[in-house]
Amino acid sequence: MRQKNEAARRIFRILLLLAAFGPAFITARAMAAESNVLFSPPPEESIPQGGFGDLIRHGEKIFTRTAKYAGRYTGNRLSCESCHLDRGRKAYSAPLWGAYVLYPRYRKKNHKVNSLAERIQGCFRFSMNGSATPVDGRTIKSLIAYSFWMSRGAPVGVNLKGSRMVSLPKPEKAPDPLRGKKVYVARCALCHGLGGQGRVSRGEIAFPPVWGPGSYNKGAGFYKVAKLAGFIKMNMPLSKGTTLPDQMAWDVAAYIDSQPRPDKPAPK
Amino acid sequence: MRIAIVGPVLCSLLFSFVSIPLPARAESLMDWGKHIAEAGNGDPGNTACMECHRLKGGGMPSIGSPRIAGQTRQYIAREIREVQKGKRYGPVMAGVVENLSEHDIDAVALYYSRARTPKARETEPPSSARVALGKKIAHRGIWKKNIPACVQCHGVNGSGVPPLFPYIAGQNRTYLMRQLIAYAFLERKDDPQGLMRGIARRLSAGERKAVAEYFSSLNPPQANGR
Ligand code: HEC
Ligand code: HEC
Ligand code: HEC
Ligand code: HEC
Repeated sequence: MRQKNEAARRIFRILLLLAAFGPAFITARAMAAESNVLFSPPPEESIPQGGFGDLIRHGEKIFTRTAKYAGRYTGNRLSCESCHLDRGRKAYSAPLWGAYVLYPRYRKKNHKVNSLAERIQGCFRFSMNGSATPVDGRTIKSLIAYSFWMSRGAPVGVNLKGSRMVSLPKPEKAPDPLRGKKVYVARCALCHGLGGQGRVSRGEIAFPPVWGPGSYNKGAGFYKVAKLAGFIKMNMPLSKGTTLPDQMAWDVAAYIDSQPRPDKPAPK
Repeated sequence: MRIAIVGPVLCSLLFSFVSIPLPARAESLMDWGKHIAEAGNGDPGNTACMECHRLKGGGMPSIGSPRIAGQTRQYIAREIREVQKGKRYGPVMAGVVENLSEHDIDAVALYYSRARTPKARETEPPSSARVALGKKIAHRGIWKKNIPACVQCHGVNGSGVPPLFPYIAGQNRTYLMRQLIAYAFLERKDDPQGLMRGIARRLSAGERKAVAEYFSSLNPPQANGR
């Protein structure tokens, strides 16, 4: 509680400062202050014992092996971790520690103030090409518990460095799927396959599909080239994030999103 | 005598039922591959693979010669070619595979990709502390240093992701250590996009030892039979 007040006071002070320097500074992005250091989420060993700890651990299992622990609500074999790397901990892949403190928030997509539960439902319906999990069910509760635990110690209402996906500056040349295909063949196909189908080890997905029937659908965040380009820039090729030039990230994103994938599901 | 004839006939009969029938040439490719493994390709000075990898591909932990049984055909062939080109670190292998033709490589790769054999016995028992650390790195990675979990690229428990990500589970420790060092110090340069060089370089000496001990403590995939 005290921590929250302190954070609020700090933000207030920053806002005052911004106001003093003139309204030009107060863009939509700057409304929430950006912190400068990367937040480090608590180590896994610190998940508490007991009922609440069990809920957190169950959330982690759903997150890393979604088809196994929440298969009723998924329409593909991706897991949450396919896009939110290192079990939802890695900066610049919309980590859970960044998410918890940002909700409830306004989203343009549906012109509503969304709760974290509703945001997670969104990833189930679009990114996982599945169906909305009940807001009060154990699946969502566990995921929220996992997210809450991971954000322990993070200041509230602040745009944490490394949270969400990255927005790259507009590219010099308009993103081009044809140039993107060359990047894909040279840098991505080794793992994701020439046909975008991904690769399997002993029946489990090792490298997830990036298009085709097993991929995210046309309602997903990654179906926006800008969002996908930011993710690719910071995270792909796996273990070589930030090595791809921006233009290539845009182009390969345009290529991936030009390929066939499941349609956007009809509104609820 | 009869068994000698009936055996292969039964085998090929079975084969034609359980899988796509192989072109006739493949059978002889298998035979030629086995011949190279057993006796070399006949060129003067060519050493039989079995001298170091054993006939069934189990390798020799005592000299750090790798297990190759059941690695994919593409991976085995690729590594031999990279040794020939000098990109793959291969101080021992270089002289041996120098005069293998494309056809020889195809044949011996096919043969060893189908070979099955139990794990060769390690020279020393592993340290449990190192195995525990290795296990953690293998399954969680060290993301602070941008190292993903090894199993993300080497498949479930290190059993490989066909065709080009080799299995490392059940591989011998000396060999694993040597490769990690060779990548880290940029002597082995055949890894696509430098993926393994980057990772091995970011591991500390102690961490390399830990992962080598962990993966060598596991059982290899397809150790016996199919
Ligand atoms: C195909 C990729 C993909 C998959 C799979 C996926 N997500 Fe997401 N997720 C995204 C994208 C893209 C965003 C939007 C991030 C942004 O707006 O910067 C997002 C946002 C979120 C957010 C809000 C984060 C924020 O900072 O606003 C949460 C929470 C979340 N996802 C949870 C999940 C959970 C739980 C699962 C598994 C059931 C999952 N996601 C699966 C791509 C994915
Ligand atoms: C070394 C293997 C490897 C390479 C090379 C690679 N990726 Fe990935 N990629 C992965 C893995 C593994 C994941 C899932 C992450 C996880 O589960 O932790 C992933 C996830 C993704 C995702 C989100 C999940 C999905 O399926 O939609 C996208 C998009 C993606 N990669 C695009 C690319 C692009 C574009 C390139 C080339 C610039 C690339 N990747 C290169 C291994 C790789
Ligand atoms: C004199 C011992 C020796 C002989 C003979 C030998 N090898 Fe090797 N092989 C090695 C060693 C040692 C390595 C590890 C690289 C090095 O140190 O050269 C290796 C590496 C390999 C690798 C790479 C394995 C991996 O996991 O990347 C393959 C494949 C291979 N050998 C196949 C063969 C074939 C096929 C033959 C026969 C034509 C053969 N070797 C003959 C000792 C030998
Ligand atoms: C981003 C993907 C990726 C990750 C993560 C990864 N590897 Fe690799 N690794 C590869 C590739 C690709 C090769 C094959 C390279 C080649 O052909 O030289 C390889 C080869 C190897 C080899 C040589 C195998 C042989 O038979 O010669 C060893 C040993 C190895 N990796 C160990 C590890 C360990 C230990 C980790 C975890 C610390 C790890 N790898 C993580 C991609 C990866």
